[in-house]
Amino acid sequence: MAHELPYIAAINEAIQLEMARDDSVLYFGQNLATTENDEFVRAFGHDRVRVTPIAETAEIGMAVGAALAGLRPVVELYMAEFMLVAMNQVVNEAPRFRYMSGGRVKVPLVLKAGYGFTAGWAGQHTGSIYGMFLGIPGLKVALPATAADAKGLMATAIRDDNPVCFLHHYLLTLEPGEVPDGEYLVPFGQAQIRRAGGDVTIVATGWMVGKALAAAASLAAEGIEAEVIDPRTLAPLDTTTILTSVQKTGHVVLVDQAPRHAAASALIAGEIAEHGFSTLKAPIRQVTGLDVTVPYSEPMEAFVLPDDTKIAAAVRQVLGTAPVPA
Amino acid sequence: MSTSNNPAELDDERLIWAFTQMLRIREFEERVKRTFEEHPGVIRGHTHLADGAEASIVGALATLRENDQLMCTYRCHGYPLVLGTDPRAMMAEIYGRTGGLCGGYGGSMHLVDPERGFMGTSGIVGQGIPQATGVAYAAQIRKRDQVVLCFFGDGASKQGAFSESLNIASLWKLPVVYVMENNSYNVITRVEQEDANAAAGEPLAVKAKAFSMPGVTVDGGDPIAVYEAVWAAVARAREGHGPTLVESKLYRLSAHGNIIAPPGVPLHFPEHEAVEVFGAAEEYEAAKRGDPVPRFRARLVTDGKLDAERADAIAAQVRDEMQAAVRYGLDSPFPEPADAVNHVYA
Amino acid sequence: MPRTTRTGPAKSPELDHPTTLALLATMWRIRCFEERVARLSRSLLVHGLIHLSIGGEGVAAAVCRQLRDDDAVYSGHRAHGHALAKGAPMDRVMSELMGRSDGLCRGLGGSMHLVDREHGLLGATGVVGGNLPLAAGDALAAKLRGTDQVTVVFFGDGAVQGGYFHETVNLAALWELPLIFVCENNGFAEFTPRAAHTKVERVCDVVAPYDFERRTVDGSDVPALWSAFGEYLARARAADGSGRGGGRGPYLLECLTHRLRGHYEGDPQAYREALAEADWARLDPLARLQTDARRRGWLGEDEVRSIEEAARAEVEAAVRFARASPPAEPDATAGLVYARVGTQS
Repeated sequence: MAHELPYIAAINEAIQLEMARDDSVLYFGQNLATTENDEFVRAFGHDRVRVTPIAETAEIGMAVGAALAGLRPVVELYMAEFMLVAMNQVVNEAPRFRYMSGGRVKVPLVLKAGYGFTAGWAGQHTGSIYGMFLGIPGLKVALPATAADAKGLMATAIRDDNPVCFLHHYLLTLEPGEVPDGEYLVPFGQAQIRRAGGDVTIVATGWMVGKALAAAASLAAEGIEAEVIDPRTLAPLDTTTILTSVQKTGHVVLVDQAPRHAAASALIAGEIAEHGFSTLKAPIRQVTGLDVTVPYSEPMEAFVLPDDTKIAAAVRQVLGTAPVPA
Repeated sequence: MSTSNNPAELDDERLIWAFTQMLRIREFEERVKRTFEEHPGVIRGHTHLADGAEASIVGALATLRENDQLMCTYRCHGYPLVLGTDPRAMMAEIYGRTGGLCGGYGGSMHLVDPERGFMGTSGIVGQGIPQATGVAYAAQIRKRDQVVLCFFGDGASKQGAFSESLNIASLWKLPVVYVMENNSYNVITRVEQEDANAAAGEPLAVKAKAFSMPGVTVDGGDPIAVYEAVWAAVARAREGHGPTLVESKLYRLSAHGNIIAPPGVPLHFPEHEAVEVFGAAEEYEAAKRGDPVPRFRARLVTDGKLDAERADAIAAQVRDEMQAAVRYGLDSPFPEPADAVNHVYA
Repeated sequence: MPRTTRTGPAKSPELDHPTTLALLATMWRIRCFEERVARLSRSLLVHGLIHLSIGGEGVAAAVCRQLRDDDAVYSGHRAHGHALAKGAPMDRVMSELMGRSDGLCRGLGGSMHLVDREHGLLGATGVVGGNLPLAAGDALAAKLRGTDQVTVVFFGDGAVQGGYFHETVNLAALWELPLIFVCENNGFAEFTPRAAHTKVERVCDVVAPYDFERRTVDGSDVPALWSAFGEYLARARAADGSGRGGGRGPYLLECLTHRLRGHYEGDPQAYREALAEADWARLDPLARLQTDARRRGWLGEDEVRSIEEAARAEVEAAVRFARASPPAEPDATAGLVYARVGTQS
């Protein structure tokens, strides 16, 4: 059975279910649970649900400590950029503790933050900065693109015994979707084929999944069948599903909202180049954000971001049905 | 661990226990230091010693009960020794061996022994403070009557992590005691060069005012004074009244750490910064004269709590214990190289 | 080294007749501008996240109108008032908010990132407290250059619980920087009341360990703000007698303000009660200063109307200017990511 929920409500449902299931799960952060009427406070009380000051280093550092002491904190950070204030705790403490202890301790915590809010939020609240958290051994990165995945990946993140950056896309916040009832877990490291097709493989995450599907729909009218893959977690990354698809299609377009030189697509391109080179019939193309800070004004904002038109154009180039620009 | 309810009095056996622990820390650290000369290349990276802090560490830890917890900095050898961690495993860790406390994954700066309440360290100044505060948050909501001690240096008190954490701990009345070990030097920077309170001649404990919590300053060279101050703070925390900032004034007798050098250059402990950087040989000599270990021994002997013969016997026993730790560390094999990929994810 | 007592002109400046009228004009400009922005935001002509400062115009005016163009102001996400009071041209600020190419920052920054170097508006940052160390660095530069420039940083009470604040305060105190911390304590950090953030109600008490000069004032009382800030400014500007030149500080002015609107435009404000009409009359800095000026006989009914009308006319002209300004060119970001070596910008 399933029910329809907006993306953000699906995340909340997962946190609530996990908090009900396991009383070691905590939920704290700024501007959270400020009234007794708050649904989390009513259900779980102020011991486990707390508002914090604007103090990211303390919030995330305390999550590390509470996790060392056996709890499972979910830190509400709102904006991915706010993790930058406490980058040491995110990158240099939480994911390294277990390793440096030789496996004697574990640090299960979830850093929940939105990203990619390209809706006039200008330079400091719009970044697709997941690339900064990739390649940090010990840290996992989940980027749900649908309401169902938002719920399932959050539940998995909370049950994971490692620090997880759970990054929800702000432009998907109110996007409704069918969400399975009750306990629902989406495994990490398992990509989802959003649309099957034999001509070209498109890999996209978050908000870009919808753009890729829109591009695929318009390409279908031209007789081009695109396969759209959503990795769902970038760490761990399901390279098997991607390589299997590439083997079938021989053509690849990688879509990423991040600036080109900080994009996860580069990492995926590297994997394909190394492990799927012989199956490629054309060079890989990446459709990414431009290497700029996201501008405020709407026309400029749109200019620097990937969209379905740019994705479709890249597909045509890869398939040789349109000229490749110099 | 102590079960004493009288803050003013450690009984004679506890006093001798405290003296023994101080000697154990000193001897362990001496053996770490000597390893650089006796076994060049065995210790890699950066190692920090706590000589001069033994009285403060032991006095503070003497207040703890069985299931209390603590976190500290990369200058971390003293605490687990007092908590009962095997010095052989600690030395093997510092030597990067498979018999090490953390299997050689952590080294000198990253000792962890959660079963004894030693929840870990951070190698980055100040960053363990929010973590200890989080451990205290866990203790509070689980209502297990635990208190957490959080150790850090004077340099850390200029870090945002310090202020953010103390504010929250005070607001949430967390069962934590912040023990600032003020050894007057942040690496080679003197505290009055970087701290507005120190520059004005004030004790650093005044920083507690900003968070509406008590702050006290204590002579960190006197284990009984530290014990009394921390005992009062622990009692307050245990009763649910929240945190205290205890500034323990002490003098680090070794340099900040061994020299930092590329591979091939033999590592060693340089002269103390007071002498090497500031030319303040007199300051350093005075500190040596105030060394808390002989000072406490003299006090116990003068007070008739300990005779010289027993003191010597304890010292001999401690020497044997740490000699065995060195031996164990040297004999312990190196880890399998391929094991390096373990423990990345739980 | 014990702290030395600072010397300098200690007399508080009084608000006189012409200055009062000038401040009223500034406050009306801010008020009308922000009310118009709220409407533009609802009709989506101004997009993105908008934070209004209605209720805080007195602080912006009393502080910024005493500064010179070469005194730097650092602001945050709630910056419109500071920008206008510091001298940023209203038509270009409006254009910025509407994302036009004549915008103060060519449409790249928007409401939260207003910068006007010419008028000493050095930066508004969008992350709480992020401007504090920047301002200290600016004050250090002024001190090192030996000028008598003073730096002002505006921040909310929510920033005080962050590490940035304490790290900056320690260094500003240690190095005696010519920096004036102006805290707009509106009792809410975004959506959360101060009591949920800290046990320490007054920001002045948070810096107590550093023992520099500080004062809490009613942020709706413009004459009090004027004289308190004026005194600190004069003392921060005065040479310290060391022969190195440069001003000396720091100082903290804590202004208790009321944020009439939500944290951002569209904030449903479920976390607080609506303000009673009578309470607003008491808290509104503009109404209070106007009443005060009338009582002193400095202001007739006609003058009140003409100040307000002039402000509204300026706002409408700014909107017309912005509407006429072409939308920012999509590729206008080219060449702005990195500064070219040897150029000013």
